[in-house]
Amino acid sequence: MPKFTLDGKEISFEAGETVMEAAWREGIEIPHYCWHPGLSVAANCRMCLVHVESGRQMAMPQLAFDEAKGEYVPTTKPKLQPACQLAAAEDMVVSSTNDEVKTAQASVQEFLLLNHPVDCPICDQAGECKLQDYYYEHQGTLKRKLTEPVHKPKGVRFGPTIVYDAERCIMCTRCIRVCDEVAKDHVLDMRERGNKNEIILAPGRELDHKYTLMTEHVCPVGALTSQDFRFKARVWFLKSAQGVCTGCATGCNTHVDYDPRNGKIYRLRPRDNAEVNQFWMCDDGMMTYARHDTDRLLMPTVGRGEERVPVGEDEALDLATEKLNAVEASKLAVVLSAQHTTEDNLALAKLAAALGAERLYLAALGGWEGDDILRSEDRNPNRAGATQAVGGATLKSVPDLLTDVQSGAVQGVLALGWATAEKLEELAPLVALDGVVSLTSHVGALPAVASVTIPVADTFEVDGSFVNAKGLTQAFPPTLSPPADIEPAWKTISDLAGKLGKDLGFKDLQGLRQGLVDAAEAAQ
Amino acid sequence: MSQAVVDRLQTQFGERVLETSDAFGDHEVVIAVKDWVEVAQFIKDDGDLQMDHFIDLTAIDYPERESARFDLVLMTRSSVTGARIRLRTHAKDGEEPGTLSGIWSGANWAEREVWDMFGIKFNGHPDMRRILLYEEFVGHPLRKDYPIDKAQPLVPYREVGDIDKLPPFGIEEGQPFARIDWESRLAGGDSQVSPAIGVQQGQRRTLSDSEVAQQIQARIDAQMAREAEAAQASEETAEEGSGE
Amino acid sequence: MRLNMGPSHPAMHGTIRMVIDLDGETLVNLDVQPGYLHRGFEKSCERGTWAQVFPYADRLNYVSPMLNNVGWALAVEKLLEIEVPERCQYYRVILGELARISDHFTCNGASAMELGAFTPFLWLLKVRDWVWDILERETGARMTHSFGRIGGMAAPPTATFKDDVLRVIPEVHKVVKETEIMLLRNRIFLDRMQGVGVLTKEQALSYGVTGPMARSTGIPYDVRKDHPYLVYDRFDFDVPVGEDGDNWDRFMVRLEEIRQSVRIIEQAIEQMPDDGPINVDDPRIVFPEKSDVYTTIEATIAHFKLVMEGLRTPKGEVYSFTEGGNGELGFHIVSDGSGTPYRVRVRPPCWYNLAAAREMLLGGMIADIIPTFGSVNMIGGECDR
Repeated sequence: MPKFTLDGKEISFEAGETVMEAAWREGIEIPHYCWHPGLSVAANCRMCLVHVESGRQMAMPQLAFDEAKGEYVPTTKPKLQPACQLAAAEDMVVSSTNDEVKTAQASVQEFLLLNHPVDCPICDQAGECKLQDYYYEHQGTLKRKLTEPVHKPKGVRFGPTIVYDAERCIMCTRCIRVCDEVAKDHVLDMRERGNKNEIILAPGRELDHKYTLMTEHVCPVGALTSQDFRFKARVWFLKSAQGVCTGCATGCNTHVDYDPRNGKIYRLRPRDNAEVNQFWMCDDGMMTYARHDTDRLLMPTVGRGEERVPVGEDEALDLATEKLNAVEASKLAVVLSAQHTTEDNLALAKLAAALGAERLYLAALGGWEGDDILRSEDRNPNRAGATQAVGGATLKSVPDLLTDVQSGAVQGVLALGWATAEKLEELAPLVALDGVVSLTSHVGALPAVASVTIPVADTFEVDGSFVNAKGLTQAFPPTLSPPADIEPAWKTISDLAGKLGKDLGFKDLQGLRQGLVDAAEAAQ
Repeated sequence: MSQAVVDRLQTQFGERVLETSDAFGDHEVVIAVKDWVEVAQFIKDDGDLQMDHFIDLTAIDYPERESARFDLVLMTRSSVTGARIRLRTHAKDGEEPGTLSGIWSGANWAEREVWDMFGIKFNGHPDMRRILLYEEFVGHPLRKDYPIDKAQPLVPYREVGDIDKLPPFGIEEGQPFARIDWESRLAGGDSQVSPAIGVQQGQRRTLSDSEVAQQIQARIDAQMAREAEAAQASEETAEEGSGE
Repeated sequence: MRLNMGPSHPAMHGTIRMVIDLDGETLVNLDVQPGYLHRGFEKSCERGTWAQVFPYADRLNYVSPMLNNVGWALAVEKLLEIEVPERCQYYRVILGELARISDHFTCNGASAMELGAFTPFLWLLKVRDWVWDILERETGARMTHSFGRIGGMAAPPTATFKDDVLRVIPEVHKVVKETEIMLLRNRIFLDRMQGVGVLTKEQALSYGVTGPMARSTGIPYDVRKDHPYLVYDRFDFDVPVGEDGDNWDRFMVRLEEIRQSVRIIEQAIEQMPDDGPINVDDPRIVFPEKSDVYTTIEATIAHFKLVMEGLRTPKGEVYSFTEGGNGELGFHIVSDGSGTPYRVRVRPPCWYNLAAAREMLLGGMIADIIPTFGSVNMIGGECDR
């Protein structure tokens, strides 16, 4: 492979790679604002200037202060190249740390901060702001300008999700390129010139496509902020865990940002994955973090409607056992969930098999529009996983279940999950049944019609895996611990099986996952 | 002056001197645990070195370092020449280095403190018991996996109703964000959101590091490895060819 | 007979427990049990930034806190490889020597008081209070100042600093003379101090004893002379060295050190520039002026970064040592490249001095514990950390 040298280190590169890309993957930081690995090259911030020391040198004329003479004299300095645009060439020698480059970096940094408002105390970007980080590393001097900074519009509502602050903006155009190249919707552009530059919306439009939060994600400063996350948490208090989005079957990888002091999840960020979501996520996916704290079922209940009462865990399990035992196996419907992990679905499938129940259904969310960018047609993260869990047997849908209940073929239901496309009124036939057991993390239509509900842990609280629409299995660790006394669904199912007198063949997650491998092999 | 000590040790012990350093002006020599007592005795007795003035003995915990968890550091000085030296060794968890209390009396209390705080026992020490903490104390507090806010009062704290700030103050005290939560970190968590703090704590390589960068790098490394193998294979066949 | 002394005992300065085995009144065996003031200093340092260690450092040797502050600041500055401006170096020296004087006043005064001489104790404390008045005017607090900063000091010297110090110096001379007149020819004092609590030179070296205790045995080791730091190499002063290593020598070494400290202070006052910066001029190390922080973005960012992440230090390890009140006060700091210390080890001078105390006390009588232990100047905060 061809090699070039950067700061004394030899780096191999593929044809067409720029110096910036090569340095980025090698773990060398060439400071930059406008470059982004997933977007086209703009080269307008000039922070990534490097000195190509090999080959013919280009010189720029300049006036430099001569101490001895006490006046400015004409001289030259080497012409620096932006690394984001500079294609790597065999045997090229590049320096990003010599004196000229350091002066250039300090100067660019100073220039960017020249009119920057003193917003750090109220700016959400503090803690993940490139201006702060590069100031410390590359500038480190105080302000030389004595005049008032230029004032521009602040707090401009761009759309339902994004707020723009023109004073903080460094005009890197990442947001424009994201809208053009990722969302394929040219809604942002720049206007005016020089220090009056601003980002504006297309006339008559607002920032309303499905990837608006990506503009906030790529913005290196606090110019674009998310309405949802603004002023809620300081980034340096947050820790992140790896997750997989539950918004649709694409299964974008996420960083789940939570505050360990109070166990609250504040937002998601895309976790880069070249195979799944590259660097992006859609808005709906980004907002799925709110599920962790909203509408949770925290106590087991018995009874429906006004007779619903909270009970203890053991009592609930006993009651569930009683109701399930009262139903013949051939009339017991087992409903898997396309929103739950493969492990949870597998445990339930095993229980169904142990009980001899062969009526399997899949509850899934609907009402979703996919696109050809990131959003899959299927709103559920794990339909494929649930299908794998039953080893290829047919999974009927919830409307089929309702038909079967109305015809009398089904007299009892054991359901996993809260998510159904059907609303409460449509699930009315289930109210007639005595034995409807729901294992759920959230309240919803299906738990509402259940006679016994038992809380289980939410996706952010379990070790699990999803299979996405392309058949890729993605595992993720838990972000937080579940609330007290609540366990992952597969564990609760195992406990329920114990009460029903069945052994499901696994004692822990390891054993259960081994079952996944066996099921996959059997399906082949 | 202290460089002469380093040179003398290198002359005397050759390859048993694993590393030397004079970063920040402090001269240091790294040796293996099995040579610990021998080298210490040498620097005391040798006519050129005469390190008779004991300065300090302490330990540092690196729980993520798999080769050897602890660093033991000895500092001594010569009252004759005025030179100073720092001796370092790496000890595994559970390993018992030899005691230096027979060489310098000050090492007696220093080693007792290292046992108390880190749980490193010293082979041959005449009085290996806790010194700063009470005997009923469980654990070794200066180890990184000992939670910083855990207290073990022998007499339980009083219940005071309307005062809600009593020591230990819990995870809020000091600088909770940039401080490493070792319990979480050793379990694979504690990943920082702030890129700058993440870089400082060694959790990412650069501010703009990304999983995709690492994926591309892995692909290129694999490609390089394949090319290196192919190059070596063709070299060997060429040799065989020319050999015949 | 086995007797327990302490930890709550008037003669046990601070809190130390000694379990002594007696044959009549003679000590046959002695187990010194420190640790009653262990507050987890070293672990606490790992939970904050480099600058947040200053309040902890004060509470090490709390009778000469300025010396600890300066020691810590010098340790981190050694890691950063920076030097503070000259005016700050003189300032640190003067404040440090004032702290040393108050330390020796306390030690000698308390020693005398325990032998029954209450008057010299009160007179020494009177002048100590005047020294503390200066420190209060400069730093805001009499004892635990937290005045040192990495890269300088918290505030520049006040306008009356030099005059205040010059006004207190004759009082220091006067009270030292008065103490000598009262004590040095007193039969009881001489009998209880001379030849009691003897420490030999070899024992001192082997135990790692430093400071006035080491110098009393004949070891001429003073960090200010042997490894000069700050501007100590510009001053002309002597290091008093004893011969016998008994209580008397330690008392006299300390008394003489007070005089030498005054010499240093006088020269420093003369040489100290009257204007000039106190802090290093680098917003990455020292907080910018508040007026700049509120009005410019650069200063705000610098302030944010310093508070949020702590002062960023290079990765590495450093051992920095200064002459504390009791001897070589060392800070061994390990940095992982971030703003939070990875490991802070304090080399406490009186830890090793106390270890050697056993040698001094064995074979003596219970009554000898009082003056001997007093002359060790074991400060619980520094010993137990």
